Amino acid sequence: MSVSTADAPLSVPRSSRHRAPGAGAVFQVEVAKISAQFLPRLVAAACLIGPFVFALIMRTQTSVPADTLFGRWVHTSGFAIPFVVLGFAGIAGFPLLTSVVAGDIFAGEDRHMTWKTVLTRSCSRKAVFAGKALAALAFSATMVALLALSSTVAGILLVGWKPLINLSGTVMSPGRSLALVLQGFGMALIPTLAFTCMAILFSVASRNSLAGVLGPPVTGLVMVLLSMMGSGLVVRSILLTTPFEAWHGLLVVPRGLTLFLLGLVVSTVYSYLCLSAAWAMVRRREFTGETGGVGGAAAWKRLGRAAVIGLAIAAVVAVAAAFDRTWISSHRVEDSVGATFSNLVRVQQTMLGHPERARSFTVSPFCARESAGGGVSQGAGDDWVCQLNVNGARLGQLGLSYTVVVRPNGCYTAEGPPGLVGGQRIREPGGHSAVNPLYAFDGCLIAP
Amino acid sequence: MAGPITAIEATGLVKQFGDVRALDGLDMQVERGEVRGLVGPNGAGKTTLLRIMFGLVAPDHGSVRMLGSELTALGSGTLNGVAGFVEDPRLHPYLSARRNLLLLARMDGVPPNRVDEVLRVVRLTDRAGHRVGSLSSGMRQRLGLAAALLRSPAVLLLDEPTVGLDPAGAKQVQHLLRALAASGVTVLLSSHNMTELEGVCDSVTVMRQGRSVWEGSMARLREEAPAPAHRLWTTDDGRALDVARADPRVRAVADPEGWLTVSAEPADLERYVLSLGHADIAVRRLEPLMGALESMFLELTGAREERARDDADEGADRIEAAR
Repeated sequence: MSVSTADAPLSVPRSSRHRAPGAGAVFQVEVAKISAQFLPRLVAAACLIGPFVFALIMRTQTSVPADTLFGRWVHTSGFAIPFVVLGFAGIAGFPLLTSVVAGDIFAGEDRHMTWKTVLTRSCSRKAVFAGKALAALAFSATMVALLALSSTVAGILLVGWKPLINLSGTVMSPGRSLALVLQGFGMALIPTLAFTCMAILFSVASRNSLAGVLGPPVTGLVMVLLSMMGSGLVVRSILLTTPFEAWHGLLVVPRGLTLFLLGLVVSTVYSYLCLSAAWAMVRRREFTGETGGVGGAAAWKRLGRAAVIGLAIAAVVAVAAAFDRTWISSHRVEDSVGATFSNLVRVQQTMLGHPERARSFTVSPFCARESAGGGVSQGAGDDWVCQLNVNGARLGQLGLSYTVVVRPNGCYTAEGPPGLVGGQRIREPGGHSAVNPLYAFDGCLIAP
Repeated sequence: MAGPITAIEATGLVKQFGDVRALDGLDMQVERGEVRGLVGPNGAGKTTLLRIMFGLVAPDHGSVRMLGSELTALGSGTLNGVAGFVEDPRLHPYLSARRNLLLLARMDGVPPNRVDEVLRVVRLTDRAGHRVGSLSSGMRQRLGLAAALLRSPAVLLLDEPTVGLDPAGAKQVQHLLRALAASGVTVLLSSHNMTELEGVCDSVTVMRQGRSVWEGSMARLREEAPAPAHRLWTTDDGRALDVARADPRVRAVADPEGWLTVSAEPADLERYVLSLGHADIAVRRLEPLMGALESMFLELTGAREERARDDADEGADRIEAAR
């Protein structure tokens, strides 16, 4: 093989004024790399196909996921499907799907030992960091949008473009439901992006893809567990999983946006802290020799230290949760259960073809916890009982006792006496069987 | 070519990693268009020097100027006009060779058509569509060179560029580097192999324990190089050593492996062999051990002294035992 001078690419040194490509170029490169990898493709496919599979399974079986908000309506309205998906994804789904890319985007360079290749190009370290972070955030946003789109389309196609009953017991038109689905996913996007920033920090700090990918969902699950330990608003507010429930506020009347605004602030703080810490590490890091990702003893020591610190923080939060004062009071439960029940009576009577019966009536609720004895009833628990005294010209006088399970996030499930409110399903005048809205219903208290 | 004559200037570079002083006040100057070899044993500080020049590692003290620009803070990016690789070049294994280069070209702000050009130069056009993970180490080495050439560098920093290449491939890279130098590119390449550098470098910096212990042209190195060394097997190594001691131009030491290492200029070696014959000592075998440059390398880096001392002790024991 011969090589002549003509083969050599002539050197064309650029002028010192040549502007180095910035974060935009790195962003494009990262997007190309992400789209060429198996796991991100798998996540995208899961977001696209998963809701269809779920809706199909729901359609073929008679039972419904009644323990989830809107679960009892999955056979009734197509818009219940995206809300159920949103509820499930908020537990650990969003943190997991976002960390598949964000948790690997920096650690992947350690795994493939490509840092020296990336950092010896024209782009500055700042541009590399910004471009990678932007690509990870863009992937997360795309996956949330994909999940919103596919679950909505799956619901509409497989269940139908039908009205949905909200968490205050009022009927929403399909158009309104669609708008709220999109707003709900939009609200979930904010903590998802914060989890993306957390995954970036895990990725940078651990230099290990496995820790980067699994760290945020595990943290998310720990936060979910911590949020179940108490119903105090202070501790719940600082947990990054709480903003995933902000969409509940869209579906109650009047709208409750406190959780959303709080989530916005908390997510911003988490994002800022995680990105600042990650950037400080990347900026100061000396690339003295790669270790192939797993990172040897030093990396495991780093991971061990991080795990100990994480556990210590979780323990402190758990103790704080036990002392955090609850905001769930009997008055709030009475207000919400009473109002929701009233609205559902109208819905039920309309379904039965007697809307005039529910035109004028009053509901007097009295709620208390069995475990409270004669004391103050408050907090989350499955021993709430609500006595609803109905008094109406056409309905007559009724005394209904509902057992209510109130969860630490303020959402509840109330189950009524079948003898008085009817069975699980009722028959509409046209002969169709439908879900009896008064048999059991879900609602959410509005956080102060 | 316009601009400063000096392409690379390192002054008083110090870098400490824990207890290890990787660079200990290193000074170096490389002119434009020069091909400079950087040699030294493992741990001499060659790779650390290259990492500093790429901005991957910050020096504790000292400064580096390349093409008239001074390397500033860590993370400001590799200087404009500087390219190359440190240790083995690494690219993303799940992407094809061409895709990798296209992405790197985007990060360098160079047009995509440059990719085919550099692939042609390193003779990888036919493998361009293959995933990097499926390429041999030699091909990956050539691909790393292509990645470095993408930027049309004025200074090329290469860390053992011929590692993993077959002799023909290594020769091809050497030709390429010479061609680049002819077009004005300054090349700094590190290597363990003095003989390999001989064919391609204009000058050499020999490093030892983080310092430059010798710097100059290849011609000067050849002039200053000690006598080449040979391995000698005789019928009586003990007496052959005595004969060598009588000739001040011949240096012989017994090797524990069972031969004598003889250092002498060719004419002196011939005379020594004849002397052995006169002394009724038969020469069973005589073969070159190392060239003059390799000899010089060992001497400069101290390896020769250490090895010779150890070998002499063990060899003397062997001869004594034979007697």
